[in-house]
Amino acid sequence: MPQKRPKSATSSAGKMKHKDRKPESPAPIEKPDHPEDIFPMVLTSVTQELFGCRADEDVTSESPYKLLKKDDIIQDIKTRAAVSDFSPVKQRVLDYPDDEILLVFDRDFIYGQCFYLVMTPEAKELILNPPEPEEIPAEIECEVNKTPEPQKWISLGSELEIEEESVKETREKLYFVFSKERRMFGGPVCFSDSNAADDKYGNLGCPSYQDSRFSIKQMQRDCGTQAAPTLQSSSAQTQWKRKKNMCTQYKPREFSQEEKDNILQSESLKNFCNLVTPRMLYALQQEEIMNVFLDDLKALGTCPEEGECSGKDSAELMLYQAFTDQTYSKDRTISCINWHPTIYGLIAVAFTAKKEQQSDEPTSSDVRPSHIVFFCFSNPYDPQLLLECPDDIYAFEFCPSDPNIIVGGCRNGQVVLWDISGHITHLQRAQSSGKKVSVNTDTFDLDDNKEKKTPVVRCCAVSAMDSSHKARITDVKWLPPTFEVTRLGVPVENQYNTSVQVVTCSPDCSIMFWDVRLPKPLNQSALDRKKTEDQKVQMTPYSVPDTFKHLDRTWKPLLRVSLPNINTSEEYVPLKFSFQHYTCKGNTDRNTEEADKSSEIIRDFSQLRLPSAKTLTTLEDVNTKFYIGTEDGEIVYTDWKLEKDDSGRLQSAKPLHCFSIHSWMVNTIQRSPFFKDIILTTGGWKFAIWKEGVMDGPIIVSPISEHVITVGCWSLSRPAVFFIGKDDGSIEVWNLLEKTSEPTQVHAHITNAKITCITPWTATPKQHILAVTDDLGVVRVFEIPKTLYIPSKSESLNVKKLFELEENRLKDYLQREKLSQKEQKEAEELEKKMEPNEPLKSEQEEEDTHLKEYREYMVLE
Amino acid sequence: MADVEDILKRIEAHKGVIGTVVVNGGGIPIRTTLDNSTTVQYAGLFRQLTTMARSTVRDIDPQNDLTFLRIRTKKHEIMVALENDFLLIVIQKPCE
Repeated sequence: MPQKRPKSATSSAGKMKHKDRKPESPAPIEKPDHPEDIFPMVLTSVTQELFGCRADEDVTSESPYKLLKKDDIIQDIKTRAAVSDFSPVKQRVLDYPDDEILLVFDRDFIYGQCFYLVMTPEAKELILNPPEPEEIPAEIECEVNKTPEPQKWISLGSELEIEEESVKETREKLYFVFSKERRMFGGPVCFSDSNAADDKYGNLGCPSYQDSRFSIKQMQRDCGTQAAPTLQSSSAQTQWKRKKNMCTQYKPREFSQEEKDNILQSESLKNFCNLVTPRMLYALQQEEIMNVFLDDLKALGTCPEEGECSGKDSAELMLYQAFTDQTYSKDRTISCINWHPTIYGLIAVAFTAKKEQQSDEPTSSDVRPSHIVFFCFSNPYDPQLLLECPDDIYAFEFCPSDPNIIVGGCRNGQVVLWDISGHITHLQRAQSSGKKVSVNTDTFDLDDNKEKKTPVVRCCAVSAMDSSHKARITDVKWLPPTFEVTRLGVPVENQYNTSVQVVTCSPDCSIMFWDVRLPKPLNQSALDRKKTEDQKVQMTPYSVPDTFKHLDRTWKPLLRVSLPNINTSEEYVPLKFSFQHYTCKGNTDRNTEEADKSSEIIRDFSQLRLPSAKTLTTLEDVNTKFYIGTEDGEIVYTDWKLEKDDSGRLQSAKPLHCFSIHSWMVNTIQRSPFFKDIILTTGGWKFAIWKEGVMDGPIIVSPISEHVITVGCWSLSRPAVFFIGKDDGSIEVWNLLEKTSEPTQVHAHITNAKITCITPWTATPKQHILAVTDDLGVVRVFEIPKTLYIPSKSESLNVKKLFELEENRLKDYLQREKLSQKEQKEAEELEKKMEPNEPLKSEQEEEDTHLKEYREYMVLE
Repeated sequence: MADVEDILKRIEAHKGVIGTVVVNGGGIPIRTTLDNSTTVQYAGLFRQLTTMARSTVRDIDPQNDLTFLRIRTKKHEIMVALENDFLLIVIQKPCE
């Protein structure tokens, strides 16, 4: 019976409860949950209004007391009888001694109802006038000080449990008495040692054993429990059903121009700049002054040529192989050799009849067809391929963009084209295997081995007889794939990036440009074209590839450049020429597009047509001037572009310069592979090095040698090295950085005859070879030692400086010459003038004469 | 205080300088003399590198800070100056 004490309540009520509780609590007897002198009752709102004790209005929790008159209650009871709220307490009210009854508003429903009526006046007094609370602590104190008196124990049933738990003996204790026999007392004893472990009687153990008759079921067990959170682990495997590529694309963050300007104006950036600039300038300056990372020891030049090689390899050219073939090289000289650009170890050699024989040719019966013979390293005695020519070939070249196409110039002035693409596999196989494999694979092997025939390739196309050169062609070169030339000689861009034009020169005083494409047919209908093509099909033999069918026998040159003499009205007789290769810059995007197209078109030359000059863009920076070496030993520098003279006809321009350095035929003009404007020329008893742009003469001239210099060539890997071949069969190796007045190496008497051709080649990065041919028809291949092919430190820079020095020296020399000439003339003039006895000459006259002479001289220049 | 432009022009006019880039804290180039794609590449890569270098220096000694970074390559020398969360990258060709 929880009885909460109301806050405002009366401790008297509590006290009453105390008193009341004692007799009530022990026995669980049902009793009304309110003290006897209080009667809880419900008052309806009508009653509440009547008596003026409306809930929460007249009576509140703060003032819950209302004194009601006894007479009013009795009146109410009489008037409303059973309906009245006070009817249950009618008797009690009548018995009430006082006049006023206390009604208390029981807000918290402590006694079960909304109001309660206090029945006894004593209680009323107590409620209305609660006694002083100070009495209670005093009473509590009094209670504490008193020692509690012991009270009688009241049994509450716990002694039964104790009875159960206590252990009592169920029977009497057993009682055994052991005693020794009387007569043994005092007798002798004998003690001995015994091991406790050994003696089975010494130690008696009573181990426990499982008794099957006896079983106890454990009813109660101690075990600890701990609350733990529930965990569940599980795994899953995703199925990669549809495989797809994932990629991320991103774009870098950038600022807009306004944002950039804003930041540029900001203070923080200004601060940053001011702080950072001194450091940066300091670092830049440091870098400019010296290279701190330069390894001095390394820079001293521990190149192979200085220490490593001297002991092991020789510094000289070593003979690697020699090729000769009795059938083809007997009584023949070699006029031109070329290495195959892509296949290793394949060299093409052109045999021509010797000059002495040529005059005898009509009478001699030894008329053999001329060939270009291909030799291979793996088989030095048998040629791999033969190119048949209508006449002796004096010059030929592989096409730079397609090594299967070879152009050659004949003795009768015709230009010849070959296509060896059908035999390329054979050549490659031959090179790798070393055995000769016949082209015809259909027949049995036995037959092939027996036959051992070298495949022969006939020429695809020859130029028209009447439009070719009138004399033998002495030099043939392809134009590089970077540009081509129109009918007027204007260089234009090359759309297909393939070499399609050939330049030939001949002692008939002309240089011709040829194009391997057909000119655009202007009026020919499609039918006609087809007819002509069919006709051509019949004409060409079966085994010849038809790459250049369209040109055969009808090939005409595109452009003819004549070489009027600079001084006289005659013409120069060119033997060799050299033009500047042009590497195009820019337009790389277009070129790659075109290159893709060209890879398909490249073989179909018959479909290519000469484009009209207007559709192609002119290349402004191509150097159209080139050098020509003549029969008389002159070096001519001229332009190949045709000009219009006064009458409107197209004419070749007059050469810009002509120098007569060599006393005899010029047999080599070659540009340095490292410098575009350095040219080596050999002829007669001297060789010279020229720089394009220096109009005053060669920058280096060699001293006169004992023997005629027949051929010269630059080294492919070292800018300062070149090789000179001589009449007596010796080879000189010149190194401009070591000595400029004499060769660094002389290999005398390599052969007995004169050297006709020298061609270097870089077969592999470690193997640099030099092919040397002579008048006897033997090709010798030398290996260039490391000292001669590994360039020294910053060699090209040094060589460049050397050339500049030489150029300056030349200029100085010429200036001094001019001055000395002038002085000489002046002296002569003076003498002349002095003769007619005029000692005094007016200065003005002198100046005039001097000026005149100077002007004349300038005109000459 | 001279204008930012003038200061940077002084640096750019120095002998051997190939290009300069000014980058902000987020790796976004502010001012450059190189073309756009190169600039963006330099800005992003060098921002990362300098952050790493800076954290290295500060890990060793928290009182210290990175002020300058020089990278010498085969072809050029790249110098990066750091301050106030900005970067100035200068590429110089070493004279030989």
